[in-house]
Amino acid sequence: MLTYITIGIFLLAFSLLVFELFDKSLIALFGALLMIIVGILSPEEAIEAIDFDTILLLLAMMILVNIAAKSGIFAWLNIKIAALTKGNPLALFFFFSLITAIFSAFLDNVTTIILVVPLTIELLRGMGRDPKPYIFAEILFSNIGGALTLIGDPPNIIIGGATGFSFLDFVSNLWIPISMVAVFTMFVFVLLNWKKLKPISASLVDLCIANILIKKIRHKFLKKTMHRDFILKVIAVLFLTIMGFFLQQQIGLPTYIIAFTAAIVLALLTAKRVNIHEAFQSVEWTTLFFFAGLFIMVGGVEKTGMLEQLSHWVANSTNNIFYLSLIVLWVSGFVSMVLDNIPFVTIMIPVIIGIQAQFPGYDTTILWWALSLGACLGGNGTLIGASANVVAADMAKKEGVHISFLSYMKFSFPLTIGMLLLCSAYLFIRVG
Amino acid sequence: MQTKIELFSQLLRELEADIGTRDLSDLVFVALIESIKSLDVKDSKKFSAEFSKLVDIVTHTEPKFGILNYYLTNLHWEFEQNICTKDVDDKKWKRMAINKINAILKSMRKHKKKLFHHAEKINVEGKTILIHDHSHTVQDALRYYRGQGKHFRVVIAEQDYEKTHDNIECLHAARIPFQVVPAYMISHVMESIDMVFFGALTLKDTMHFVMSPGTHGVITEFHAEKVPIYAFFDTCKFSLWKSKKRGEIFIHKHTRSHYAKPIEYERIKYSHDRVPINLFKKIVTDKGVFSPAELEKLYKKTFDEYEKIRKKH
Repeated sequence: MLTYITIGIFLLAFSLLVFELFDKSLIALFGALLMIIVGILSPEEAIEAIDFDTILLLLAMMILVNIAAKSGIFAWLNIKIAALTKGNPLALFFFFSLITAIFSAFLDNVTTIILVVPLTIELLRGMGRDPKPYIFAEILFSNIGGALTLIGDPPNIIIGGATGFSFLDFVSNLWIPISMVAVFTMFVFVLLNWKKLKPISASLVDLCIANILIKKIRHKFLKKTMHRDFILKVIAVLFLTIMGFFLQQQIGLPTYIIAFTAAIVLALLTAKRVNIHEAFQSVEWTTLFFFAGLFIMVGGVEKTGMLEQLSHWVANSTNNIFYLSLIVLWVSGFVSMVLDNIPFVTIMIPVIIGIQAQFPGYDTTILWWALSLGACLGGNGTLIGASANVVAADMAKKEGVHISFLSYMKFSFPLTIGMLLLCSAYLFIRVG
Repeated sequence: MQTKIELFSQLLRELEADIGTRDLSDLVFVALIESIKSLDVKDSKKFSAEFSKLVDIVTHTEPKFGILNYYLTNLHWEFEQNICTKDVDDKKWKRMAINKINAILKSMRKHKKKLFHHAEKINVEGKTILIHDHSHTVQDALRYYRGQGKHFRVVIAEQDYEKTHDNIECLHAARIPFQVVPAYMISHVMESIDMVFFGALTLKDTMHFVMSPGTHGVITEFHAEKVPIYAFFDTCKFSLWKSKKRGEIFIHKHTRSHYAKPIEYERIKYSHDRVPINLFKKIVTDKGVFSPAELEKLYKKTFDEYEKIRKKH
């Protein structure tokens, strides 16, 4: 009975999220409270279900980025990008998409989104263009880039931890499907948004608007006094933070501790120039509460044993490694669209180890890559599929750009299916 | 999505509020040079068509920027006569077009020097001058007077936060002594003010200056008290088009909430004021210092000359 109630609560919350009847943080918290009130989870279990690593990482990164932004370094970067691309929409699209993919391959996806989205909105809006397609692309490329490396996305970290695969193992096995997916996404994106992205070099009016805007931004920026010491401190701390994330396994500290250390050190170093009350107030608390609620709801679903049943079904479905890898890919892809991929990957790890035991002498490592691709790329499917998606939508909302669940999904879902099909083709070639 | 005219209007309006009309024109022409350099059009006739589109948009912005309209329309005619008729490659016509724009930039800077030369006829020594808008022409004139060793003080009538701060920054940098008073309290400082300086965006054929919002009230108040009011104005800002509507005033409506009570209300803001020129004692221009009647004559003469050229094209 409790299983049905859990599914009911989850479906109710999911429907409310889709139709956006209330703020999503309220929906997630209400769903979480219902799970506790009806007895699916005890209060202690609910607290345990919250992935504090993710929430604390988000919190620390929000503080860090807010302090860094006060130095004017992002505005400076904005001007440089605008000048480099000469305001050309297609060049901006390629630049922002690639920079997002590269950043998220080495940084946490959420951190990448926090750095890139505000810049995109300011620049595109100023040019009188709709920033939505660019934000959609950034969401997709944050997940695509994150799927490439061991440290790019939490499922890969979990898989790496369980299997002992190195950084290079991930890159060498995943660069082909990730490149295929990236090119495919770029192509489809440009095709669907050609009207908005086509080069402006043949239009004097558009060129003029872009050049005036670039000058306007430059003027606005140059009017503000920039403090060299502040900028140097920000650059140093951001660099050390990225290095910290990169060398996280060697350091042996969780990412949120690295991010918190960076945020607090930067706050201390810039205490004279930054009001820490303002920095703390700028934290997107609704996003953090949404995640807390979502984690509790997912914890409830997990407790029903549904995910375990699903993993057993995967393990017992076929004896063919190619078909198995396809099932792993598509099941993890679809599950990641609606649920947090971390618990699913965690549950799938013993299942895949079990399958490997059934095929002694065969190379079954392909199953791990199928799991990684499905879990990371599946997150693109819906607005709640990955943390980066939620954070991007919230940041956009704060800047007055509304991204609805359905407007994102009608675009992202078919694209994600396309990505998974490409990965299937890759698996076929690898196994064949 | 905004139309190109709306987009241009907003962009120019924001820039004008930020840097003033003259610097805005300078910026637009520099941007135009860069745009022509990046323009991927080989045929000079296509270029002319593109330029025509640009002129059409810029001449229909709200408000209209007289100085831009004037120079861009002139440029368009020049391009049609001198560039599109010649069979030259794109590098050559691009260079020719850029040279023409550079000549305009030079001429605009010359106008500025001439205006300051005529500004010397206004005696500011030992005077207290009130400013309100953040006209860069007025700011430059004050800096010029200071550079000439004149001693005077300025009272800034407070208006939009950023514009007031722009005036404060300018006077502080030029080491000109100043005080700030809220615009709605100027009646209390009226007696200490010897003269009032204003800049303007354009002069309409109705003999109204288009000026920063709030200036009409301030000017009327000083006019009633017979305090001399001067406008500093470049004659290339004349709007040489027949006025059809009050379209140059952009109205921005938005909903605000009461700070303590659950009351929502509509707040209306206007982008500019229209001020009749006869409220001014003198208008300092690049062509001399004029009374309102003299300026009207000059305007009509320029308008007629321009009309002839327009008909020719």
